[in-house]
Amino acid sequence: MPETLTLTVNGENCTVTVPPRTQLAEVLRDHLDLTGTHLACEQGVCGACTVMMNGRPVRSCITYAHACDGAVIETIEGHRGDAVMDQLRDAFSRHHALQCGFCTPGMLATARDIVSRFDTADEATIRLELSGNLCRCTGYVGIVGAISEVITAKGSTGKHSAPPSPARPAKPFTPFEPVEAAQTPIPTAPKGSVSAEGGWTVVKRSFALNHAPDAVWQLFRDPARVAPCIPGATVESLDAESFTGAVEIRFGPIRARFGGRGSYENDDAARAGTIRGEGDDKLGKSKVRGALRYAIAKGATPQVSRAEVELRFEIDGMLAQFNRPELVTGFVDYILVQFAANCDAVLSGGEAGPVKRLSVFAMLWAVLKARFSR
Amino acid sequence: MKPSPFEISCPGSLDAAHKALHENPRGTRIISGGQSLGPMLNLRLARPSRLVDVTGLSGLAEIRQTDSHVEIGAAVTHARIEDGEVPDPIPGMLRHVAAGIAYRAVRNRGTIGGSLCHADPAADWVTAMTALGATLLVRDGSGGAREIPMSGFMLGAYRTSMAEDEILTTVRVPRHSDRARWGYYKICRKVGEFADAIAGFVADPESRVCRVVFGSTGGAPLVSTELAQQIATTGAVPPLDTVKTVLRDSGLTLSDVKIHQLAIAHSRAVTEALSDA
Repeated sequence: MPETLTLTVNGENCTVTVPPRTQLAEVLRDHLDLTGTHLACEQGVCGACTVMMNGRPVRSCITYAHACDGAVIETIEGHRGDAVMDQLRDAFSRHHALQCGFCTPGMLATARDIVSRFDTADEATIRLELSGNLCRCTGYVGIVGAISEVITAKGSTGKHSAPPSPARPAKPFTPFEPVEAAQTPIPTAPKGSVSAEGGWTVVKRSFALNHAPDAVWQLFRDPARVAPCIPGATVESLDAESFTGAVEIRFGPIRARFGGRGSYENDDAARAGTIRGEGDDKLGKSKVRGALRYAIAKGATPQVSRAEVELRFEIDGMLAQFNRPELVTGFVDYILVQFAANCDAVLSGGEAGPVKRLSVFAMLWAVLKARFSR
Repeated sequence: MKPSPFEISCPGSLDAAHKALHENPRGTRIISGGQSLGPMLNLRLARPSRLVDVTGLSGLAEIRQTDSHVEIGAAVTHARIEDGEVPDPIPGMLRHVAAGIAYRAVRNRGTIGGSLCHADPAADWVTAMTALGATLLVRDGSGGAREIPMSGFMLGAYRTSMAEDEILTTVRVPRHSDRARWGYYKICRKVGEFADAIAGFVADPESRVCRVVFGSTGGAPLVSTELAQQIATTGAVPPLDTVKTVLRDSGLTLSDVKIHQLAIAHSRAVTEALSDA
């Protein structure tokens, strides 16, 4: 449902009607034709879209329009009558602080903020403050020089010049016997390793199941039975060696639904098998392909098994652009814990729980972590 | 990229926020500064059908202090903390941590409560607040309130012990004595990027509290009572090998590189804390 909001942009009152998902950058560029604000990464990293909102620099690519109702915005087209901005523009020209000019609108917004917050700033401080604005042409030398010149010219206004370092008590540290702090429960991951092989992430895990190896193998070798144990997985079609289906992922705020196809093969004598598959998340524009190898071995007693699992996968697209491999492995562990619990439940004659809600996981965790840490 | 379409509501009260949340808890996300959720929305990794913006709720942007605690509203921005608007529960630490989060343009919008609830393993406040022994005040849909200690708040990457109908209102940080020491060090490939390793250290001889925390472990912050005990009683920085052994025996799956980074970060944080002016 579109909403109407009023904001002051470069001194002029503007009213725009936009849908809720609209970012400030789109309001400026698409509704007010102020295309001096540049969009590049659209995830808050590159700084090209930085504009002034109520006197402070903000990323207009991750600031929603609704949050700007009543706000005062200054873009590169504005700053009229701002003597400091005039000095910065002049200094940027003289120091060759721009080449292609793509980063310049954001650079100037950040530069304006640095000049207003610092009375003195050495090169290191300026570079630190500029770290959120990427320039691929200049090597930053001219930009740093221009900002430095304007700060020096402005003289002291009584503002702070550096973030505080830890205050040191005057007396030396006297050792003491600490009171026992509450021990934090450590969420223990299943035993194993995580490694990168070329573009592939390889997660190896070993976990216990409370049933005899033969019973566990009968479950693992049958995709129709084992698939419901995988949280979020559904099988759409299945024959002797291939399948189609989908896996729905819920991980914090992240949602994805990978639909795809694959093949499987089992070696009953070795109680080992492999599932290969690939799929894509159409809404999120991500692709995943991988192989899952599994082997069921005897556990500590005849009634217990150990499952050795190796998951090898490669992700392309938006999820990969997010580029947090350690979180992906965390997620794999999170799925494995639920998977093991579901397998045990099915082998005990029950059903795989609808373990899709994250809160259920918290309860399961407490029950399971002791077992997984063994 | 444009996010998937969603509705947005900006409730004027906690009750209204709970009501909006209650209508469709699974498809609704709470948003405050949106500096972590925003990128996920733009990448369409997150596709909620509705956002509930809590930044405008009364009290959430307030800062208070009592004799024993400093209370920071959940919607207080990192920049306000960086600029010293929050009274020091321990001299300088909050400002130092806030100033190291992402970039100033992000700190101007990102909030302490949003960062804690988002529970990214590499985020600063989850580690810093665990080291400071903070508690979180949350309100549920029926008006009930409870306090969650930071140790135990985060369950794993993006997972916290908050229920679906709970909203974080206040971060309560205990005030430390003027003899307290702290150190905080993070290792980043590039300034402002997600940290590869974080170490926090707080020791207060008066309350006899000593906490050693490791962040960016891939999950919840790791608290080491063993190292805390050793540092408090000796006043010395533990050898790197000792720290690495603790990390290796922690039960977490940590690569050798990660263990080295965490040990170095820890060593630098503790060295800074224990050094005399």
